[in-house]
Amino acid sequence: MTDPHDGNLAEQLRRLLLAVEASGRAVLPGSNLELLQSIVEAAARIFGAAAASIALVDEQAQELEFKVSYGAGSDEVVGMRIPLDTGIAGYVAMTGQPIAISDVQQDARFNRAFAGSTGYVPRSILATPLVYRERVLGVMEVLDKISASSFGLQDMELLGMFARQAAIAIDQSQQVASLTQLLVQGLRRLAVSDTGAVPDELLAVLEHSGDAASPDDVRTRDLLALADRFNAISELGEAERLACLQILAVFGDYARARRDLPV
Amino acid sequence: MGELRELVAYGPLGRLTPEWAWGDSTGRGVHVAIVDSGIEHDHPALESSVRGGVIVDYDGRTKAKVRISTDDTPRDLFGHGTACAGIIHSIAPQAELYSVRVLGKDATGRALQFAGGLRWAIENGMQVINLSLSTSREEYYALFHELADDAYFKNVVLVSAVNNIPVPSYPSLYAAVVSVAAHAGHDPFMYYYNPAPPVEFGAPGIDVRVAWVNKQYSVNTGNSFAAPHIAGIVARIRAKHPELTPFQIKTVLVACAANTRRAE
Repeated sequence: MTDPHDGNLAEQLRRLLLAVEASGRAVLPGSNLELLQSIVEAAARIFGAAAASIALVDEQAQELEFKVSYGAGSDEVVGMRIPLDTGIAGYVAMTGQPIAISDVQQDARFNRAFAGSTGYVPRSILATPLVYRERVLGVMEVLDKISASSFGLQDMELLGMFARQAAIAIDQSQQVASLTQLLVQGLRRLAVSDTGAVPDELLAVLEHSGDAASPDDVRTRDLLALADRFNAISELGEAERLACLQILAVFGDYARARRDLPV
Repeated sequence: MGELRELVAYGPLGRLTPEWAWGDSTGRGVHVAIVDSGIEHDHPALESSVRGGVIVDYDGRTKAKVRISTDDTPRDLFGHGTACAGIIHSIAPQAELYSVRVLGKDATGRALQFAGGLRWAIENGMQVINLSLSTSREEYYALFHELADDAYFKNVVLVSAVNNIPVPSYPSLYAAVVSVAAHAGHDPFMYYYNPAPPVEFGAPGIDVRVAWVNKQYSVNTGNSFAAPHIAGIVARIRAKHPELTPFQIKTVLVACAANTRRAE
């Protein structure tokens, strides 16, 4: 990729990382949260529901975190985290099955402590998993259908379609995020193994890889193309993604070995 | 489930009636496992029908990847398993219910817990197993297929809910299981046979009043609540006709479906 003896390496790396982030923005116009926000708003309006929300699974913490919300109690909901084994949302996340429930206040199946803390306790809930490639990424809920006492099977089907859109958006942004992370990790390792010591300015760049700038040179365009290609290949499945990574790794070894050859 | 054709039961099959199949039966003595979130054993709706159970935990260090511990007075993490148990008990009040709790927080372990729970039920004398859960993970296709076949050959009837979202759901897609989706009726004995499988049966699953945790009740919708209706009917058939094998029971179910007409 870059010749370390050529010009300011740190500056080049900074631009590369920015470019990867820019490619994320190209995949998802506007921020990901804005897109999810518009999905929950549309869902709430179409269902005639008092509120709607999306919570994402945090595998490490084994929790659900509410990312976006619309309608009654929404200000309090965003940012809240609940353990995976709690409440309707937890059940849906753990089983990957949608469920519709009404008369919620009477029977404690909703996580009442949580509902109480949002200042809003719903009467009916429809919750569906956000599934992408066999993985449950999160849960989308709509609360309190205004025109009826409960949500029906057709509502469940329709919410499934919204959930599919949301899952695709979430998956794409997670891929971009993990791609950036991978690149940073890879560069850190390379920096260490190539020079034995990491230059300060390089470290600074790797640690602050989120500042904005618009990519416009040839190298950046190449990186965008690389990111797009990698995304397209990962779309094909895990085996393809791994094969892609292996090919890149093999090429990296080959290129390094070549450079070490005596002239 | 779409438009349902009327079916015709000919010959001796035309003489099978619900009255013959399960009339007067209470499911007495039939062991029914509910593989789910647990069962609240002392819920009043269950009237002491819960006889025991196990908790299946994920354990990556063991060969089987799961750890099974006895749970004589089961609890329910969510209410879902209690809801299923309550439906079965309302149809087959003398069936003996066993809780097989398989839900865990670890995403990679979950399908293995589910499989481990199913295996436990097959190997521990259960005659009917209600699976209102499923997995859509392709890598477990073969594992669940093997378990479904094993159950079939060991004379165990698996009743499996189809997922409500359009993803593959195993084991509900296998021919050896009784797969169930929801219809809007409320008569617990009114179910339909779908002549265009893999979803074979339709049973009540919309706005069903069910038992829930903390000795309460709720009104729920989903295919999850349709499957236990059929599991309850199967328990009654098994108590009355213990000689019937899983494929014979499926034949009886088809002959007694609400959209099957008897040829005179």
